[in-house]
Amino acid sequence: MTKQWINIVVLIVFALSQITCSSKNERNPNHLIYWSSNNTQEIEFARYVVNEWNKNNPSRKISFQPVPEGQSSEEIILAAVVGKTTPDIYSNMWQGDVEDYARAGVLVALDTLKGFKDFIYSRCDSNVVKEVTSPDGHIYQIPWKINPIMLMYNKNIIKHLGLKHPPETYSQFDSASEKFKDENIDKYGYVDKWFGYSEVLVTWWQRFFDFYPLYLAASGGAPLIKDYKAAFDNKYAVEVFSFLRNLYAHNYFAKERLSVRQDIFLAGVIATRFTGPWEISHADKFKPKGFEFDFTHMPVPDNHRGPIYTYCDPKNIVIFKTCPNAQLAWDFIKYMINEKNDLKLLKLTNQIPRRKNLETDSLFTDYFKNNPKMIEFAKQARYVKGTDPYPNLTEVFDIISQEYEACVIYGKKSPQEAIDDAAKQVNLLYMK
Amino acid sequence: MNLKSKKIVPYLLVSPYIIYFLIFIAFPVLFSIVLTFHKWNIISPMQYTGLTNYIHLIHDEFFIKSIGNTLIFLAIHIPLQIIIALFLAEVLNQNIKFRGFFRGAFFLPVIVSGVVVTILWQQLYGFDTGLLNRILIFLGLGRIGWLVDPSWAMPSIAIMATWKNVGLYVILFLVGLQTVPKNYYEAADLEGATHWQKFSRITMPMINPTIFMVVVLSTIGGFSLFIEPYIMTGGGPLNSTLSAVLYIYKQGFFYYHMGYSATLGLFFAALILGVVMIQKKFIEKEK
Repeated sequence: MTKQWINIVVLIVFALSQITCSSKNERNPNHLIYWSSNNTQEIEFARYVVNEWNKNNPSRKISFQPVPEGQSSEEIILAAVVGKTTPDIYSNMWQGDVEDYARAGVLVALDTLKGFKDFIYSRCDSNVVKEVTSPDGHIYQIPWKINPIMLMYNKNIIKHLGLKHPPETYSQFDSASEKFKDENIDKYGYVDKWFGYSEVLVTWWQRFFDFYPLYLAASGGAPLIKDYKAAFDNKYAVEVFSFLRNLYAHNYFAKERLSVRQDIFLAGVIATRFTGPWEISHADKFKPKGFEFDFTHMPVPDNHRGPIYTYCDPKNIVIFKTCPNAQLAWDFIKYMINEKNDLKLLKLTNQIPRRKNLETDSLFTDYFKNNPKMIEFAKQARYVKGTDPYPNLTEVFDIISQEYEACVIYGKKSPQEAIDDAAKQVNLLYMK
Repeated sequence: MNLKSKKIVPYLLVSPYIIYFLIFIAFPVLFSIVLTFHKWNIISPMQYTGLTNYIHLIHDEFFIKSIGNTLIFLAIHIPLQIIIALFLAEVLNQNIKFRGFFRGAFFLPVIVSGVVVTILWQQLYGFDTGLLNRILIFLGLGRIGWLVDPSWAMPSIAIMATWKNVGLYVILFLVGLQTVPKNYYEAADLEGATHWQKFSRITMPMINPTIFMVVVLSTIGGFSLFIEPYIMTGGGPLNSTLSAVLYIYKQGFFYYHMGYSATLGLFFAALILGVVMIQKKFIEKEK
């Protein structure tokens, strides 16, 4: 009896080891796996591109699947890296995560692939290439698509306030806010509509929708981190904190979280919000009759000169080292992000491909003619920044968030004090 | 069946649980103890750091604050829960109309998802537009910053948690109350005892074990405070609702400081064990 059981156990262990070994060793170098984002439009795009590729390259196949469902795609990718079950190609990597993965040695240095440098310089400006170059001199990601953060505004309210254009500077924003507030005080003396809104959350990524794009706008795209030190301890960051603090102190922005209910922008509860192009299709679909909206750049200090930058929420493409044929992966990616497919991406997803001269390229003219609101984003795409190529950005933004809350929301610290404290903590973080 | 197989069969029968225990309980616990001596961000290899994580823990002002916040929560939540649950149980133990309905109604929040309850209360607590502040304004009173004022945020969460869990403790107290022999009250009635005298001299001493059980259960439950601050406040304002578990979670799954997070978890588990042991001593003493 015992012998029988031992035999069964040995058999199971042998079978399992065979399954595991075969799945590891028998990867066909001419058949790669690609994971896309899991939103409907991007799935449609990925399916289209993969089908077209496979039609034209029957001996060099790509299989596609959306990134498996989870709390966030970042979490799923992390789990896949740990479990060594990463896809060969992944196309929804947040730029801020790339440096951590590169340091862990799980990404292919793309600049070592044939034709990479020529391709990337033909697609992107040198500033973009610089932005995605790791401190070790290699490039581990291909800039693919962006969603610039801009000021979305209710045109009817702006008109009603007697303004010729949406507020562009801090003082214009303040005076428009004051006017709007005066008109929206209820019978008990409390404000029930606000000129703007930014979710009052300490969570690190919330700063991509307030502090960070405003900082980039004010500073002309200055870095947050440079040489493993805080580079944001400057007058621009202090000005941004002062501007935002003033908005909360005067009740121009709501302190309570309003996000759980119906869309507050479409309901007219707020007049503006800092957001990206994904709002267009949503707003067009659900806006009440007569509701008009548009986008403009982020507000800047009154004395600002030069281009107005913003944060662009970049999602890039990477090749994992588990890929058995990096050159094939690179060939597929080149196909996936060629001009024709970038136009397809734009049409299907309303997300901006990160390529040069988008708004002047004749191939895209028809699209922008049919989607006039997207032109603002295409123009803005010339002046956008992602994140700096340093590790631990989550913690950097969390530190800034803590100080943001203390200074901007609750006025417990002066803007200068808060920025100084954040810079000190960030420097300490990189010293460890 | 021979002697050998007779010996093996019991082991085979318990083996599923043993395997489950080894994989999902013993291994994670041992692994997390090992982790406390390492620096590990999941994707890079582990680095041995000796006692660094423990030294960091002692100086970590956020962790100390999070423990303080959790204790504030417990200090509000436990007495409030006991008083309300006991009061309701006492009322529901009487022969009142619709008793069955009320017993069910008070238990209802217990079975509703914590996330749903939290989102609902977030709306009620809204500073500018929440129902509670609208009522206060209507009554001519000032607004309260339920979730936006650092001194109100944790009490607000404690009130909500009490509302959510009180039904369970009402049931426990009801069971306790029903074990008190009726003749004690009859004897007290003959002696002319007031309602308060009967409650304080008969009911309370008789249901002492239930009270202690409720204290222990609420303490353990309160220490694991997570969903409410995670959803409602994210630990703010100004870290006033940053509970210990939320902080451990943030260290682990926001920043991937797995070694440090394991150290915090281990320390916190020891702390809960210590508190429960003290409570157990009290219970034994009472018995």
